[in-house]
Amino acid sequence: MLVAILAHFALAAVLPLVARRYGRAAFVVGALAPAATLVYALARGGEAVSGAPPLETLAWAPVIGLEFTARFDELALLLILLVSGIGAVVLCYYSRYAKPDDHRTAARDSALLVTFAGAMLGLVLADDVISLYLFWELTTVCSFLLVGGDGVAKRLRTSATQALLVTTLGGLAMLLGLILLGTAAGTMRISEILADPPSGGIVTAALLLVLLGALTKSAQVPFHPWLPSAMVAPTPVSAYLHAAAMVKAGVYLVARFSPAFADHPAWWIPIVVCGLWTMLLGGFRALRQYDLKTLLAYGTISQLGFLMVMLGAGTWMSALAAGTLILAHGLFKSALFLTVGIIDKRAGTRDIRELSGLGRQWRGLTTLATFALMSMAGLPPLLGFIGKEVALEALFEGGTVDRLIGVGVAVGSVLTVVYSLRFLRGAFGTKPDMAPSAPVPCGRVMTGMVAVPSLAGLVLALAPSVIEPVETGYADRYGKDPGYHLALWHGITPALMISVGIIAAGVAVHRYAGVQRLGGYVPGPLRAQSWYGRSVEGLESLARGVTGRLQVGSLPVYLGVILTTLVVVPGAGLFSGDIDFGELRLFDNWLQVPLALLVLVAAATSLLARRRLTAVLLAGVVGYGIGAWFVVDGGADLALAQFLVETLTLVVFVFVIRRFPPRFIENKAYVGGRWVKAVIAGVAGTFVAVLAVLYSGYRGGIPEASRQYIERAEDETGATNVVNAIIVDFRAFDTIGEITVLAVAATGVASLILARSRRRNGTVGRPEPTEQDATDDTGTTETPEVRS
Amino acid sequence: MTFLVALPVLLPLLAAALSLVAGRSPRVQRLLGVVVLTAIAAVAATLLLRADSEGPVVLRLGGYGPPFGITLVADRLASLLLLVSALVTLAVLVFSIGQRITDFGRRTASTAFHPMYLVLCAGVSMAYLTGDLFNLFVAFEIMLGASYVLITRRVTAERVRPSMTYVIVSLTSSLLFITMIALVYTATGTVNLAAMPEKIAALPAGVQSSLALFIVIVFGIKAALVPLHFWLPDSYPTAPAPITAVFAALLTKVGVYALIRTQTLVFVHEDSWAVLLGVALVTMIIGALGAIAQNDLNRMLSFLLVSHIGYMLFGLALFTVIGLAGVILYVVHHITVQGALFLVSGLVTRHTGTVSLQAMSGVARAYPLVAVLFAIPAMSLAGIPPFSGFVAKMALLQAGAEVGTAMAIAVTAGAVVTSLLTLYAVTKIWVGAFWGPPTEPLVDDDPNDDVTVGTGSTSSAMVGATGGLVLISVLIAVFAGPLADMSERAANDLLHDEGYRSAVLGEGNG
Amino acid sequence: MTDRPDDPRESVPWTEWDTPRERWLMTEQDAYSWPRSLLLEVIARVLFPTVLVFSVYLLLAGHNNAGGGFSGGLVAALAFVLRYVAGGSAELAMMVRVRPPVVIGSGLAIAVLTALAPVVFGDPVLASGIWKLQLPVLGELKITSNLLLDLGVYLLIIGVVVDLLRTIGAGTEVGGPGVDDEQLEEERG
Repeated sequence: MLVAILAHFALAAVLPLVARRYGRAAFVVGALAPAATLVYALARGGEAVSGAPPLETLAWAPVIGLEFTARFDELALLLILLVSGIGAVVLCYYSRYAKPDDHRTAARDSALLVTFAGAMLGLVLADDVISLYLFWELTTVCSFLLVGGDGVAKRLRTSATQALLVTTLGGLAMLLGLILLGTAAGTMRISEILADPPSGGIVTAALLLVLLGALTKSAQVPFHPWLPSAMVAPTPVSAYLHAAAMVKAGVYLVARFSPAFADHPAWWIPIVVCGLWTMLLGGFRALRQYDLKTLLAYGTISQLGFLMVMLGAGTWMSALAAGTLILAHGLFKSALFLTVGIIDKRAGTRDIRELSGLGRQWRGLTTLATFALMSMAGLPPLLGFIGKEVALEALFEGGTVDRLIGVGVAVGSVLTVVYSLRFLRGAFGTKPDMAPSAPVPCGRVMTGMVAVPSLAGLVLALAPSVIEPVETGYADRYGKDPGYHLALWHGITPALMISVGIIAAGVAVHRYAGVQRLGGYVPGPLRAQSWYGRSVEGLESLARGVTGRLQVGSLPVYLGVILTTLVVVPGAGLFSGDIDFGELRLFDNWLQVPLALLVLVAAATSLLARRRLTAVLLAGVVGYGIGAWFVVDGGADLALAQFLVETLTLVVFVFVIRRFPPRFIENKAYVGGRWVKAVIAGVAGTFVAVLAVLYSGYRGGIPEASRQYIERAEDETGATNVVNAIIVDFRAFDTIGEITVLAVAATGVASLILARSRRRNGTVGRPEPTEQDATDDTGTTETPEVRS
Repeated sequence: MTFLVALPVLLPLLAAALSLVAGRSPRVQRLLGVVVLTAIAAVAATLLLRADSEGPVVLRLGGYGPPFGITLVADRLASLLLLVSALVTLAVLVFSIGQRITDFGRRTASTAFHPMYLVLCAGVSMAYLTGDLFNLFVAFEIMLGASYVLITRRVTAERVRPSMTYVIVSLTSSLLFITMIALVYTATGTVNLAAMPEKIAALPAGVQSSLALFIVIVFGIKAALVPLHFWLPDSYPTAPAPITAVFAALLTKVGVYALIRTQTLVFVHEDSWAVLLGVALVTMIIGALGAIAQNDLNRMLSFLLVSHIGYMLFGLALFTVIGLAGVILYVVHHITVQGALFLVSGLVTRHTGTVSLQAMSGVARAYPLVAVLFAIPAMSLAGIPPFSGFVAKMALLQAGAEVGTAMAIAVTAGAVVTSLLTLYAVTKIWVGAFWGPPTEPLVDDDPNDDVTVGTGSTSSAMVGATGGLVLISVLIAVFAGPLADMSERAANDLLHDEGYRSAVLGEGNG
Repeated sequence: MTDRPDDPRESVPWTEWDTPRERWLMTEQDAYSWPRSLLLEVIARVLFPTVLVFSVYLLLAGHNNAGGGFSGGLVAALAFVLRYVAGGSAELAMMVRVRPPVVIGSGLAIAVLTALAPVVFGDPVLASGIWKLQLPVLGELKITSNLLLDLGVYLLIIGVVVDLLRTIGAGTEVGGPGVDDEQLEEERG
């Protein structure tokens, strides 16, 4: 099975080359992968439904828990039927749907669709949480790129972005939840977590996070608006992603984890509430749609809600219902989407107000579509009817809560019947006051592709024992089999009565004219789409506000923050323990006192100086004062170096200062800020001094290093000047580094001052200003070089 | 064999010296640069293999041992980071050479660029390899000095001010660093990192924690932790694309490395450190929010850089083996990916003539290769599987979940939120610049401005260098298994550092 | 005395063998004004060679007394500074024959090669060697390998300071070959 996943990706890598040569035939080539996978899965289906599903692992980075696992059990098989089966169908369909000369789109979409198919395959087979997340996000990225298309039209970009952000929000929440769950359970393997589910507060939070992922992916309220917007994608893409595969991922996730957590209130309550609400809202909104695709989108949302409710109910029967309905939904929804694609391509529009008379022209297609619609509405003899029967049976045979849910489900089913009729009449009906559309043949291959899922829904309903092992195998996780079998006819059961009632009510509502005015109306502020817009705007303004406040662009503020942090944080650390200053001496040699005063006074007055030269000279006095200090303390080499460097620095400063105005320019506006700066600087300096005094109290005599230097200098380096020995021998590496810094300084100065502007190739710029002075007055014959 | 440890430092310095001497001959300079950087990569790989199999490779300079001589230590962490840095630096050098040849032809010499670039490499190598605190300071000085020159080269009037912000803040950090060394030497009597832990342990608790926090702040300025990060988004975008790439890829990571080394080797932490966790959370969120608020492509990438430093600090603050392994993986991934992103930004700017996202459009249609070269590192940065960012993020998230304290879980959740925000920012770039109707590039009106270079032309060297970095990031993901094993061993070494200490101190004196 | 370097291929009569061949502080023909000070010029002429010799002394004596490569280099560099301050950038052009980056590069290269050389002999990097030579008149002479390192430092510092003179000194002169007035930013307080 892992090989199958890999084969998808390998094929997807090759497809752009195929498409460049052969155009839309690449889609057919791409269909090979899912088709082969379907055949392989069916061939090994027996193993899947047996008690010991095959398990494959491939280690990626086991130290951090990354591995690829594939566990082929009933639920996986069920979804593979959809993922690979519908995938192959859609790809073949797309080979006829795509424009023949648009190789670019063919390359992009074929590769992305096959990648997506591979990712979904990996998702449903994954047995460890991290692979699950990996393939989950991969499907999100593929969806983003598929919906966005070439990204030229603005609505493509906004829809793709919305889908990406909402599903990634869920995906990341799911990741966090899964990791927390895995950590609580002690293992990252899903099968092991389910076998022995953990409990605790952290598990509740984890489950809620995982649900967030499922709800966003399956477009449940309030995260549903991304799905109708994503209808801007080409119809085959919508048929695959937004009907059969990607949105099923959330349902799959719930289905996978429900057996272990179905009793957990944090699990089933949100699922049922959101699912029911979604079912009703989706059906309600579908009543107002004129665009066939959007109608189907809302219908999908509603159906997914229904699936969620059934999974949340958590009994054997409801699980059987959910499994059957997952399959049924995938089949009929993809058939309907593909039908809409044909209508769109051949009749030129998807708007039901503009279509008329298609039913008469395209009898075959209409028949197939009608099968699919009957399955959706829950009419016999289609698979959807069987599934709905099981669902009603499960809910109305249960406790009070189940019956309440059942009432909601029934209402939702009524809405489903209504919008199915709306679709049927709108797409294929002959409207009395409209001229029929011009006769155009609908493509045979495309219709053939519609036939596959549509007829499958019929065939499977007539022979349900084919899929029964898979379905009951999944349901067995919830408890014991009460002996129910999937069949079209169970006798006159309460469920059958309720089904009849639903259908009758649906037909009646459809006829009621007021449906057009009232149906699907949701007041503006309550619309979830506006919440999305407002959240995004809120995030942007939060980002601007925070950054605008913090990133002020002012160097004194930055330095002030650094110094304040320097004082506050280590200061807090210091006071967390006890401080002992030890004995303090005021001075060692009386000469240190006037020198200290000189240095402090010079430093202070250099801040107050008005003329630049004065400030520079006073800074020089500070340097010479330190040098004199070295003399007093007995460091002759240090004093020599200090005096020389200070002289050099003064010379350099004077050279630069002579080009500036003689006085500093005062800016009166910042006088107030000056005191803050002074305080911060003073406090920081004092703090450092305090630390120095404090730390020196802990020193016990001359450090080991100093003693070693003094002992070894003569023997090992041949020098009696220990300072020199340290510089050029013991720590010569530092010296090499420091002279490099000097070289860098000189080079940098030259680069700044001697830079010449140069015209770049390929641009129309200013004429080269300084090519004429080819020789510098420094006399060294330099060609005009850019010292930059 | 141990002399190999000094080569990554001395070879580039020698090459820089020769580059200065040969300043009139661009061909010699270019050749020197490429040859030396390749040699460093080879040496780093050798050191890594040696360190992984036999333990840290220790070189006592001059034959003098601690506490008075300088030791260079190549353990797993240092060699791994050295290898990745060398590869990134090589790629960026090829990019710059390509850019220069495209813009100005083969014959023009730039006396300062190549020596300074090599000096920067030498400084970074020295920082990774040194086992001595004062030598670390010298390494920072070399590195920062070269970076001052590189960031102020060919600077225009309005870009001078932010680059001076960088220079002054870095000088302040150097000042604080040398002060810190003085304080450490006063308190402990040694500057050798391996010998410090026992001396530090003898100090009272208040002194220890104030010293540790002082060190965190000093390196935090360099690593751009919040609230010490403000200089980075202001100044990094003012440099041309390859310079920003090498700064973003290397300089901040040296700060992170110094933090890792000091907090694991010198100070002993038994549990996760709540203060550092809090700083990590704040850094992640504020950086990501800052990125979302930007319209300038390079500024956005700079804020993302700040935000992802938070991830590395998060892993460090947990002080567990998995956490540190995650940090190492994240550093390796981030060096490569952030460097690649800035190089791609340079390519995009050349094609569109602007750095403003609102003014760009349709790059994917016009230059699909650039779009792919952007998409892969961008997805990696946002942590989308199966790229390197995902691998590193998984390690960090699992480490956070395992520690299990309230603070750790909060920061783990913050890391997840930051992923989403990063994705938002990256999507903004993609949708704004790459999608949309193709537009004409803006005319390059200021030939002196090296940041927005709108010539439309890129050479194969530039694209090839960028592609090389992207390929390395993909390889990091593919070989995540061996890399993660090595990181785990390195993390073990860091937390249980008897191996390091005995290698450095063990063989007696001198 | 001439103010232009003589063509070396021209033959010089013996009466003029002791005339200086190179220019030394002759400023009358300069195109721009450099403030002249008689005292400074005289002192520069007297001190320049002496200071250079003193710097070499510092370099060699550093091992046992105060001094060393840094101090020696700085003293030599300050001699060049003195000559520049006295004579201006024209003077600088005369005394600097080699491009300063070449000097800087050579100094650094010598230092690094000294560091790497012991590897060839199997010693650790930067290992020091002490050689004792017997010279006829001077007696025993002790030379250490780190004298070479010091020499590299010496050269580098001279190069650095002369480079600074060339750029900050001559490069920023008014009317000189460097930055124009208009390109300096006004300081905003």
